[in-house]
Amino acid sequence: MIEFLKNLSSYPVPLLLIIVTNILLIAGFCIGKAVLLKNENAIKFFAVFSVLMTFLFAAYFIGIIWFFVYSIAAGSSFYGIMFLIFLFLPFVIGYFSTYKKIQLYSDIQILTLLISLIAALSLI
Amino acid sequence: MTEELNFQLKHDKCKRAVLLFHGMTGSPFEMKKIGRAFYNAGFDAYCYCLPGHGTSPVSIKEVKWEDWYNDSEKHYLELREKYEEVFLGGLCMGAVLALCISMEHPEVKGILGLSTTLYLDGWTIPWYNFMMPVALHTILRYYYSFPEREPYGLKNEVLRKKIAALQKKNTVALDNYPMSCIYELLKMSRHARRNMSKVHSPVLLIHSTQDDLTSSKSADFVYKHISSEIKEYIKLENSYHLIVMDNEREFVFEKCIEFMNRFSDFYMPKDAEVAV
Repeated sequence: MIEFLKNLSSYPVPLLLIIVTNILLIAGFCIGKAVLLKNENAIKFFAVFSVLMTFLFAAYFIGIIWFFVYSIAAGSSFYGIMFLIFLFLPFVIGYFSTYKKIQLYSDIQILTLLISLIAALSLI
Repeated sequence: MTEELNFQLKHDKCKRAVLLFHGMTGSPFEMKKIGRAFYNAGFDAYCYCLPGHGTSPVSIKEVKWEDWYNDSEKHYLELREKYEEVFLGGLCMGAVLALCISMEHPEVKGILGLSTTLYLDGWTIPWYNFMMPVALHTILRYYYSFPEREPYGLKNEVLRKKIAALQKKNTVALDNYPMSCIYELLKMSRHARRNMSKVHSPVLLIHSTQDDLTSSKSADFVYKHISSEIKEYIKLENSYHLIVMDNEREFVFEKCIEFMNRFSDFYMPKDAEVAV
């Protein structure tokens, strides 16, 4: 961990962006599942939480697109293309999700984020 | 609870009816005044709570726009069996529903599109609205709700205070717009935009230039793309979104009644009644 922090500046910025947003998104969805979905009346809290999550998702997508361009420029497009899958997965999950099964789909979303986090960390 | 909110204002042996549709997260309560005005003008007026509305805030997150459409169409077909003439009228999302039904049923006698909502681009929509697609198309739409806030679609401040108090109780309308509901509305709007040319019935559009939820771009689109030979468009200057409750409501009622009477074969002017 210390080694990782020492070498932070040497890692590609888009990869760091993916890692940071991934961690925050996983934490956010865990909070959402544990707290918010059980308290339907916390509308204002829900609103602020969801806006933050939306911005995090946007940053995550930007990170993936940036990394895709970066990896093509660096001549290793395989990793970039691999990460593009994670760009589309939240939309695929969103398409099939229903409110009745929101807990299940939240779990699937967290799982895909975890996989993408592991994939990003493995490149460091 | 939903049945208590529904209303049916009927005369004896009346041959013409108006089926009204309330707006997104609203209830028949918001259509009661206009329904009463239509009843007094000689129409039978009906308004039913749309699926997912009028119960718990959770239930609205479980419905699809097809549920709203199918339920509304069912009510329309019931009325068509009973009446010689059926007009459709709606506020906000209800106006889109009325247009969607008339696409499949060209025999609809006339349509009243009040604050038609095809786009959410009014002046109270938050600045971060450009991020909406990210939330709409991911599971975040089930987490997010826009809190309903001032001015609650009303320019009239006295009414605004009353409605705000009622909304906080969640009895007549929700105090928030669940994102999943907006997602379904936008899906229905997309369907409506694609099929707008199938509308052939006479249409009256009334929209405020100061609408806080949806700009007049929506009504402009409808006016431009419907195939109706008879189409009228009235722009209001002193109301926000809830035009059936706001400052110019009496003018709105008057114009709607005037429009429907013009196309009704069973309209009997009061002078004529006296003469008979």
